[in-house]
Amino acid sequence: MYRLLTPFDYFEPQSVREAVELLARFGHRARVIAGGTDLVISMKKRQLTPECLIALAGLEELRFIEFDPVAGLRLGPLCTHAEIARSPLVREHFGMLATACNEVGTPQVRNMGTIGGNLCKAGPSQDTPPPLVALEAKLRLLGPQGERVVPLDQFCTGPFCTVLSSDELVVEILIPPLPPGGAGCYKWFTKVTVTDETLAGAGVVVVRGPGDVCADVRIGLGSVAPMAIRARKAEALLRGNRPAPGLVWEAAERAAQEAEPRSRAAYRRHLVKVLVNEAITELWPLTADLPGGLG
Amino acid sequence: MKVFAGFDINGQTHELGIEPHQLLIEVLRDHLGLTGTKHSCGVGNCGACTVLVDGVPVLACMTLALAVRGKRILTIEGLAGGPELHPLQRAFVDLGAIQCGYCTPGMILTAKALLDRNPAPTAAEVREALAGNICRCTGYVKIVEAVLAAAEKMRGREVAP
Repeated sequence: MYRLLTPFDYFEPQSVREAVELLARFGHRARVIAGGTDLVISMKKRQLTPECLIALAGLEELRFIEFDPVAGLRLGPLCTHAEIARSPLVREHFGMLATACNEVGTPQVRNMGTIGGNLCKAGPSQDTPPPLVALEAKLRLLGPQGERVVPLDQFCTGPFCTVLSSDELVVEILIPPLPPGGAGCYKWFTKVTVTDETLAGAGVVVVRGPGDVCADVRIGLGSVAPMAIRARKAEALLRGNRPAPGLVWEAAERAAQEAEPRSRAAYRRHLVKVLVNEAITELWPLTADLPGGLG
Repeated sequence: MKVFAGFDINGQTHELGIEPHQLLIEVLRDHLGLTGTKHSCGVGNCGACTVLVDGVPVLACMTLALAVRGKRILTIEGLAGGPELHPLQRAFVDLGAIQCGYCTPGMILTAKALLDRNPAPTAAEVREALAGNICRCTGYVKIVEAVLAAAEKMRGREVAP
């Protein structure tokens, strides 16, 4: 690794429109920089040597946190992990996302790194995708041809791969509100210390329906597959049923089977089982008498 | 291509001609001779290069210098503001929270940001705030003690006339 960067041209667009025009002009020769916590390392390692950088930090229009009971949460991609983790709106409505944002890197990295940059990196062991896929988050992308909205679980196509084309920008992250009787949490386990990479992460949402059955459940798993995945077979076991301890454990075992860890597979599958079981067991009592959703 | 930009570092304005690919740590150490900011891991794990930008701890080795022009930058050289040590510096010295000293500037600046936000932290809150600053000498116990002692002293000073 080198300590310094090689020269590049530097642009500071004054609007999202201008940023997209620059991307269209330079294509693969350009890279977008937001917090820089990931890109700068790749450039020091000479894995990336872009001819020009397009700096987004000045675009206040991409920095917002808004909640509406019907539309849900709208996050600007330039929000840092620290801003999301301490946002009263996020903590009130989607605490599981605040929890996950507080697990990213170190405090300094959380002060610098942005949610948009994190999602665009699409690293398999990141903490924000598991809760976001469980919350069925969508990304709004803007390019020269216009806008499109892509669900997060279709945005990532593999380790460090996304459907984002070189002239597109993530301009918004949308999280629909949880239905009444819905609650969610994020559980994870790291290698050694809190700042280490996550070995397994589970973002879980449970919704209690009439008759005290599990009307809906969504299990997002991270660090145990090429990208964050939904454990849909485990979800199907629980949906429509009362989550008795035996059934929850069976679903957790099914989730572990759905995981495809690359290294330390048996251990990571075991972690998935423990985390999913713990999450659902803790969430279910919380969903009783919930007037609204509690992420 | 050089760009002329204004930097507010430790309360002083510096007009510097810099290249877009230069990092904040290069500007601080090589252009301005402010070598209190330490270069260590280079990848955002150790916190030795921590400086405060608008009061927030960030890593100077991963920040493009141009990205922080016009913002308020505080390095360890600007903390005391006179011949007297800042209470955090005094507590680190008095309580033996320094051994080799390489992590100290980053530790103290991160601790300052914590105390600005939370003047009466618990030991657990101090450890959490310093989770991004690695020390290979002290074992952290004395560092946490020093931050708590400085916090107490600073609270006392604010109350006293």
